[in-house]
Amino acid sequence: MSNYFYVAPEQLIKDRAEFAQKGIARGRSIVAAIYDVGVVMVAENPSASLNKISEIYDRIAFAGVGKYNEFDRLREAGIRWADGTGYTYSREDVDARALANFYAQHLGDMFTEGQKPLEVEVLVAQLGNKFRSTKLYRIAYEGTISDETDFAVLGGDAETIKERFASLEVGRLSLAQTLKNAVSALAGPDRQLPVEDLEVGVLEDHGERRTFSRLGDEQIARLLT
Amino acid sequence: MGLPLYDAQSDPGPSFVRFAEMSGLTTRSDSHDLSAHATTVVAVRHRDGVVMAGDRQATTYYVANRDVRKIEAADRFTALAISGSAARGLEFIRLAQLSFEHYEKMTDTALSLEGKANYLSPLIQRNNLTSTLVVLPLLAGWDLAHQRGRIFEYDGAGGCYERQDFSVIGSGSPFAESTLRLGFTPDMTQEDAVALAALAIYEAADNDPSTGGPDFVRNIYPMLVTLSAEGFRELDQDVAAATFRSINDRRAESGGVAGGTLR
Repeated sequence: MSNYFYVAPEQLIKDRAEFAQKGIARGRSIVAAIYDVGVVMVAENPSASLNKISEIYDRIAFAGVGKYNEFDRLREAGIRWADGTGYTYSREDVDARALANFYAQHLGDMFTEGQKPLEVEVLVAQLGNKFRSTKLYRIAYEGTISDETDFAVLGGDAETIKERFASLEVGRLSLAQTLKNAVSALAGPDRQLPVEDLEVGVLEDHGERRTFSRLGDEQIARLLT
Repeated sequence: MGLPLYDAQSDPGPSFVRFAEMSGLTTRSDSHDLSAHATTVVAVRHRDGVVMAGDRQATTYYVANRDVRKIEAADRFTALAISGSAARGLEFIRLAQLSFEHYEKMTDTALSLEGKANYLSPLIQRNNLTSTLVVLPLLAGWDLAHQRGRIFEYDGAGGCYERQDFSVIGSGSPFAESTLRLGFTPDMTQEDAVALAALAIYEAADNDPSTGGPDFVRNIYPMLVTLSAEGFRELDQDVAAATFRSINDRRAESGGVAGGTLR
């Protein structure tokens, strides 16, 4: 017969939270912000192919920090859920809040019941239209979901970056200005981020059904000057 | 539907159809002959791409619908057309469009044109070999990698064949095909190809009761689509109207006789 030591639930939760936080803190951060006509997501990501920001649906985008394999599975599940829902009902019926709730449930379940909590934080962004408003949902490793009004910062260094960004971004600015602010908030006072280390995704209406686009290095450089 | 998470062994990957089947989104039941039929679409290759033309009629024992769209953009550079069961065909287009986009979002790369063409084969095979509601699609597009227009046609069992000249699907095929055979030249301009494709549909509508011709009363005209380096473009109904009106005028002048020329 094996013996189990008693661990108080408070301790268990604390240990799990610490474990997840440590994992998330190892990665770089992401800033997502609503600008005058869209949503921009800016990640510090030296890899050009292992993306942190991705398209989910016509007006919905995803961003994740932490362990790549873990948030990438969530991204894939999100695309499947969105395409499946749009196929079953209608494209208009795909709503970011429902997806954010599913992510929150799953992360919450994994945090309390999983072998280990997921070491990720994810963001679901929705570009508004006549029927829905522009939204940023941030979902933390333990399933806490928050509806951010203007911008969201994900990752280990979130608090500092948040402060820096809040001091720069006043009101709804242009894409170029918001991008500049996001990059300088990510970099901090003593660092300069090279364009190649930036991954930028944008949700903006151009009269087409799909609104997500990635900005290439050249486009980013042009916007930053 | 809950969050569709899979472990590594059972993961359906970037295939939307496989995912849809695993999660029971697609169901199949078999009834026969209740459904309307969609007919006659042509695709013609020319030196700068491909043009497609398709009539607008769905037919049961009577005219079921006069403004069906049988050609749709599968994505920015690809068009998909259907003949056969209208219900299954339109569903097929929806599934194909979604599949290509799903793959692109999952992998962050678009499927090659050949990849899209091959992806459709098993879908056709499964539908046509298990159902009396047969669908026969036609895929055409601008191949970004090889910088040329390409046409892929299918047989009833899902076999996929690339055509270098032109392809025809639907019940008006014999008449449309004959027209294309006589009028096709490999170095046609897009303008010539549009005129020829329109004429092929006109001839099909003239002789096949299930193919709808230009409807000058209701102002409904066959669809004319171009695929080139600029992508999928549907010509305005005004342009289609003018194209078919000029064919009609010429035909009226000759008293309804094609007269052995392609005019």
